[in-house]
Amino acid sequence: MTVSTREPSALPAASPRGRKGGGGIAHSRRRLFVPFVGPALAFYTLVFVVPTFVALWISLHQWAGSGPMKWVGVRNYTALVHDKIFLHALVNTLELLVVVGIAIFVLSFAMTLILRDMAGRKVARSIIFFPHLINALVYGALIGFVFNPGGLVNTVLKAFGVTKPPGWLAQDNLFSLIMVAMIFMTTGYYTTIIMAGVDRIPLYYYEDCAMAGANAWQRMRHVILPLTWDVFGVCAVLWTISSVKIFEIIWIFGASSSAPPTQTWTVAVYTYATGFAGDTLAYGAATAAAIVSLVLVSVLVVLLRRVMRRDVIEF
Amino acid sequence: MAHRSTKTRTALVSVTTLALALGASACSGSTSDGSSAGGKTFTYWSMWKEGEPQQKVIAAAIADFEKQSGDKVNVQWVGRQNITKLTAALNTHNVPDLVDGSWANTVPALVNTDQALGLSGAFADKTADGETASSVIPEKYTKSVDINLPSGQPWMLPYNVQTDAFWFNAAKYPELKTNPPKTWAEFITLLDKFKSQGVAPIAADGDVAGYNTYWITTLIDRTGGPGTMKTIASDKTGQAWKAPDVLAAAQKLEQLVKGGYFINGYTASKFPYQQTAFANNKAALIMMGSWLPTEAAAYEAPGFIPDSFPFPTTGTADSQRLDLSGFVVPKKAKNTATAQQFAAFFLGKKYQTMWAANGGIPLRTDVSVGASAQSEMTALKGAKTFHQINDGITFTGYATKVLNPADDQLFLGKITPQQFVDTMASTQADYWKSQS
Repeated sequence: MTVSTREPSALPAASPRGRKGGGGIAHSRRRLFVPFVGPALAFYTLVFVVPTFVALWISLHQWAGSGPMKWVGVRNYTALVHDKIFLHALVNTLELLVVVGIAIFVLSFAMTLILRDMAGRKVARSIIFFPHLINALVYGALIGFVFNPGGLVNTVLKAFGVTKPPGWLAQDNLFSLIMVAMIFMTTGYYTTIIMAGVDRIPLYYYEDCAMAGANAWQRMRHVILPLTWDVFGVCAVLWTISSVKIFEIIWIFGASSSAPPTQTWTVAVYTYATGFAGDTLAYGAATAAAIVSLVLVSVLVVLLRRVMRRDVIEF
Repeated sequence: MAHRSTKTRTALVSVTTLALALGASACSGSTSDGSSAGGKTFTYWSMWKEGEPQQKVIAAAIADFEKQSGDKVNVQWVGRQNITKLTAALNTHNVPDLVDGSWANTVPALVNTDQALGLSGAFADKTADGETASSVIPEKYTKSVDINLPSGQPWMLPYNVQTDAFWFNAAKYPELKTNPPKTWAEFITLLDKFKSQGVAPIAADGDVAGYNTYWITTLIDRTGGPGTMKTIASDKTGQAWKAPDVLAAAQKLEQLVKGGYFINGYTASKFPYQQTAFANNKAALIMMGSWLPTEAAAYEAPGFIPDSFPFPTTGTADSQRLDLSGFVVPKKAKNTATAQQFAAFFLGKKYQTMWAANGGIPLRTDVSVGASAQSEMTALKGAKTFHQINDGITFTGYATKVLNPADDQLFLGKITPQQFVDTMASTQADYWKSQS
């Protein structure tokens, strides 16, 4: 197979400052660096870097969102470590990231392989993508209709003779239901991205496989996976970032009153519930939780990129 | 430190907000002298949304007030998020002059943070009928619900009352109107009767933690009167939960859970599924706030007549729940005098009567209420003592993180009363440790 590799850092645009004395063009490029990057950098600093530092500063206080602030040092952080609800929320967040993540990727990849050779694949792709287009609020409105004791599911089950169905919406089952809903909502999205990656693979590789007598597994192992690895990497980073931020689906599924049951909380829900839910106006503690989730995302993304790092394959 | 923090925060406010604030102050001018010469403007962020029956009453009052005083009310129908919105706005110069909310929501945001203005002015101002506001506010209520700042001035001008009760369909069970159960034993007998008739005795939307806590709060306050629950919650060691009376209260709740008195599936449904079941005669009773008739009107069975009786006694304590909602003025507001004049104006009989006609319980006791609220009104008038929602506990995050999770477990039949009090004791001790 004819694949060539090269280091990403060798790409000319990757590092304008990296190469010294590259002639006139490089010089003008360096000169234009500040006027071109400056405004974006200033904007980014204003709307992201500064608020992050302000948040860090708020997280060191006890504060009701307005009025006097009391300096408490790192106490909001030590309280988090001892807060069973927060630790549970952290486990839930990681569960969503790993369990739902694996399910989404396995399903997306499987669907990609099936759809590749299927007739009417464009229609099928749209149908799979559809759940992602629907606002989470619609699921919130539907969940009661479908899963209430006298809802659609139990009515269907009754027809099959199931008289004692499980309590789908019971507090202990709610998180599993949310995980299933997340898989349903997100699989189509990642299928679409991975399919775009698989579609790029030139046909002659498959012909090559057929001539070499490779079976379906070998074709996936030696052609499809290596040639779509960078797409997988991007998807993994996207999922990591969005999974740590999962919020509205839990709120919609669980919060009939001021907050959903704590069994279903993620770090994002914990943050909001601590800062804004009814009786809770602990902005300092909420911000501390937000900072922890920011650190979590950053660490996970860096780790993931390290694990997923491969030489870019050009074809 | 606090001063420095405020300065830094203010500096961080976006240019847009500053521009808005400048615009607002330019429009309003500086007219907080209390005179009623007219021509002044104040801003009101309402807890009601456009189209709600309550909003229509306030809108009518605003129209009358503007006509009579010549002042202008710049109103925004924000909805229940108005206090959350206010919390953020308090860090800017764009602060409304008047907000309203429930006692439980305004205390953490405005009173505990020392940002509520003393409203002696409003209490002395005239209602739409010309009498002073303080003369129509029942003293019995303000003695029970603490609406005073440390200075002694009230921080809320209440206009609405909420209570809770057991609701039933008076068309189906007229005997409950004339002869409601008064004691716990009578109550259980009634529930058994419903059960033997094949009717689910009590409907409950178990997914609403706030509703679930009505039971334990009331049962605990029934052991030692109003304030009992708050005293227990204030115990830094959490050991107060281990008192035999508290365990007995939790056991009464377990008696209902284990006795199968709650409607099937109450542990796994989504609000308002069970409330709808109640309004369609699939359960005999529901314990709910005074808003039930208004809320259930949309889906109740034809001929349904909501009526209520108070929570039974388990000993000698017989307090009624009483929660107040009303107007609050932030200290940082600029046009506080006009805002207070409107707050007092709204207590006029006309608006309180309109309020009652919409199914709400007005603050004034000299206004006749709708048919569905009459039993509640009788209970409120006859009550010697009152308790508030969650017994007036406003410790930040206590309900969300300490009480609700453990109470849900007990209410949904996951833990025993003993496990409940043990959990409360230990999580409460942790809670207070984290707050110290």
